[in-house]
Amino acid sequence: MYWQKKLETMDAEELRALQLKQLNLSIARAKNAPFYRSRGLREVKSLEELQEIPFTTKQDLRDGFPYGFLAVGLNEVVRLHSSSGTTGNPTVVFHTATDIDQWANLVARCMYMTGVRPGDVFQNTMGYGLFTGGLGFHYGAEKLGVLTIPIGPGNSKRQIWFMQKFGTTVVHILPSYAMHLYSIVEELGIDPKADLKLRIAFIGSEPHSDEMRRQIERLWGVKAYNSYGLSEVCGPGVAFECPEQNGMHIWEDSFIVEIVDPATGRVLPDGEEGELVLTTLQREAMPLLRYRTGDLTRILPGRCPCGRTHRRIERIKGRTDDMLIVNGVNIFPIQIERTIMRVPGVGKNYLIEIHEERHMDRLHVKVEVDREVFHGTLAELTGLKERLTEELKTELTVTPVVSICEPGSLPVSEGKAKRVVDLRTKNK
Amino acid sequence: MAYELSVFVENKPGKLERITKILAENGINLRSFSVASAGEFGVVKIFVNEVDRAEELLRQGGFTVTRRHILVALVPDEPGGLHGLLAALSQNEINVEDCYGFPLRRGNRAAIVVDVEKFPPAEEVLRKNGFKVLNDEELRDL
Repeated sequence: MYWQKKLETMDAEELRALQLKQLNLSIARAKNAPFYRSRGLREVKSLEELQEIPFTTKQDLRDGFPYGFLAVGLNEVVRLHSSSGTTGNPTVVFHTATDIDQWANLVARCMYMTGVRPGDVFQNTMGYGLFTGGLGFHYGAEKLGVLTIPIGPGNSKRQIWFMQKFGTTVVHILPSYAMHLYSIVEELGIDPKADLKLRIAFIGSEPHSDEMRRQIERLWGVKAYNSYGLSEVCGPGVAFECPEQNGMHIWEDSFIVEIVDPATGRVLPDGEEGELVLTTLQREAMPLLRYRTGDLTRILPGRCPCGRTHRRIERIKGRTDDMLIVNGVNIFPIQIERTIMRVPGVGKNYLIEIHEERHMDRLHVKVEVDREVFHGTLAELTGLKERLTEELKTELTVTPVVSICEPGSLPVSEGKAKRVVDLRTKNK
Repeated sequence: MAYELSVFVENKPGKLERITKILAENGINLRSFSVASAGEFGVVKIFVNEVDRAEELLRQGGFTVTRRHILVALVPDEPGGLHGLLAALSQNEINVEDCYGFPLRRGNRAAIVVDVEKFPPAEEVLRKNGFKVLNDEELRDL
């Protein structure tokens, strides 16, 4: 039942000793990165001294674009992953071959924990490419020794066809897509419980409630496990639910976990809700020290009956910043603002709405026409709409529904106009 | 030079009615109009007797409005009347962007409002083919 029994069940004291040793290795590696070189880092004598090291923020990562956080020579890096977008700098994360292997091992550990074994058939419906969701699980599944179908997202009928023909037993899927796909299965007259062999679903990449998880389990006849990760420290595989389905074990041999008050940065005791801060202990190409994830959660006090000693974090409660998650893709409103403001013919005011359509998220962007540049033809308006759709799609990797509105019909830009309206109900 | 007013409107109930209300309340005679829609929004083109005043009133009413140069030509109000005008333009490779019209009270004729991409050549083509293109004074008396 354990992928690495000794590591997963190590007692707290041993785990802390391992963390201290690895932390000093991470600090030594970090010093090679231009960003950390200027911070005058030194060896720490105890884990408590970690609190003297300043935080690393997402803005630091952006400012360090493209190579400011690289701690090894280019000859040692084998891959990069990146957030979407080019307005402002995207966050880029580098991996050595060892990093990829360590990451795959963490994902394999997560999958094994939930009962996946060689002989299973794993269908990975997450996006491949710069996004870490697809490749992260792919390498983990192969490491575990499971037949992996790298189908990627979309094309629902084909997803179902693969499930039927190859007897898929394990699936990695966005929770909203799991709901959407169920409606297609219904239309096709397929009963997942009778006609498919699915038994496990990994759901992650977007916030969802426990009620939604239970619904997915009921509809598909599977056990659904919550998955947590972020590309900055690797991707999926950071924290994962065990069969108890009560909080996600965060792998403390690979990360030091802190929960801090988002306003003051003060470290909070277990049980209190705050911002998750991670320090990487294994990463070579891009070690991060005290990285502010922006995710709000708390550490569940007490030991898990599963026997693993690594502490558990609760389901993510929200964000400290304005980051939006649309069908698993991270979007910052500023990306949208900068993109539409570059397009001539658009007025100052805009509104971002996120709708729920057949369980999937739909991004709507409403812009006003600029009264001064209106020439009076329909073609210029449809052209404007097409151009905005195209530019936003390029920037966000999500295709929005663009609406062209009359000047004065949207909230004005002065003051704290509310520019984002989230109409989704599934997270609440 | 003749002008029409072009107004951007979202396709929502009551939008057109707001335009006609402003015109009606200010005694402006709407001679003809056309509506082009692209789903959730569209462009309303209106031809009125007092362009300057109507433009100002619509602007004050919050509309995104602009004026566009057009030609107004007379055709016989009979079968094939409009066809003759369009044929003359197409034979001369002149593309019509938009076109609408209305019958005149006098003389069994109709006025056709034409928006083309090439203005001076279009006007010349119409005159050569025997169509009357109205000048400012004639437009006022229309």
